[in-house]
Amino acid sequence: MASILHRTATSYLKNQARASSHSATAGGHGGGYKLWKKLSLFVAFPAIGLGMLNAYLGHQEETHERPPFVPYEYMRIRTKRFPWGDGQKTLFHNPHVNALPSGYEDEH
Amino acid sequence: MNYNNNNHPFHLVDYSPWPLTGAIGVMTLVTGMIKWFHEFNLNLLMLGYLIVILTMYQWWRDICRESTFQGKHTIKVSKGLRWGMILFIMSEVFFFLSFFWAFFHSSLSPNIEIGMMWPPMSIITFNPFQIPLLNTIILISSGVTVTWTHHSLMENNFSQAIQSLFITITLGIYFSIIQSYEYFEASFTIADCIYGSTFFMATGFHGLHVIIGTIFLFICFIRLLNYHFSNIHHFGFEAAAWYWHFVDVVWLFLYIFVYWWGK
Repeated sequence: MASILHRTATSYLKNQARASSHSATAGGHGGGYKLWKKLSLFVAFPAIGLGMLNAYLGHQEETHERPPFVPYEYMRIRTKRFPWGDGQKTLFHNPHVNALPSGYEDEH
Repeated sequence: MNYNNNNHPFHLVDYSPWPLTGAIGVMTLVTGMIKWFHEFNLNLLMLGYLIVILTMYQWWRDICRESTFQGKHTIKVSKGLRWGMILFIMSEVFFFLSFFWAFFHSSLSPNIEIGMMWPPMSIITFNPFQIPLLNTIILISSGVTVTWTHHSLMENNFSQAIQSLFITITLGIYFSIIQSYEYFEASFTIADCIYGSTFFMATGFHGLHVIIGTIFLFICFIRLLNYHFSNIHHFGFEAAAWYWHFVDVVWLFLYIFVYWWGK
């Protein structure tokens, strides 16, 4: 009984393997390059497009009110000067949104 | 033709100066970094960069020569390289683990000085559902396109491999551009309390790894154009793809815990 079952299962699987390996676009066993190309073109790229749209629209909505300057001790730490410029500005310093220890540099 | 006159499949490398110049280079680099931080002088650091870059170029060039042109990379050698890359990536995982440790240490029980809250008082975090989400989609997509490249390589489809690898590299560059824009637009800096420190150390080192991964993929692109890879032997590309997936996974952890949970 078990051996009949075994033979049936084995011959079934062999037939399946033969059939799918004939196909040029064998999506089975690991997926050919075409599967990943389709995923890239029809899933990934639209997702990126939607993500870009979402980020753009979200950015439009935001108000650019910057918070008033409060000289919290734990912010704008300057234990050691930065080794560039006057040593007071971080590497990605943006005067519009980053205050120095003494306050914002510019009138908003 | 049996190029190796050995009765074993291993590669006994010819004498090479690059390990020594590499060691001298990194020593010069870190000493130069200290000189920069303490004496504000860049000369030694620049020299260190130069020596390290020259070493990397020439050492990896020699490996390409030994493998692609001299046929020294047998299957056994390739397996050894696979283990090497896996171990290296594991060491990088531990490196990032330390920054995540710092982040969780600081954020799970925030200090009284920052208001016993996370994010700390007066920190305005990024909205995780805008640009960070876009960056997540970009990196995941690049993982899909690099898989497209791998399958194209395995199926001997040269033009598909070129196209998909080019797209992958472009996505990597796109991520870096967007992330640097975010860095400039951030209302908080690295010097803004423990939030800024943990945020920029973790995302900063991640960004550096994105740049390294992009360069690695770009080198593979050049090698691909020069017919270095075959459909059954292209470990250099596989190593780049593994590294790229690693970079993607690190970003996913950053996105979920630093950007999203931490907002």
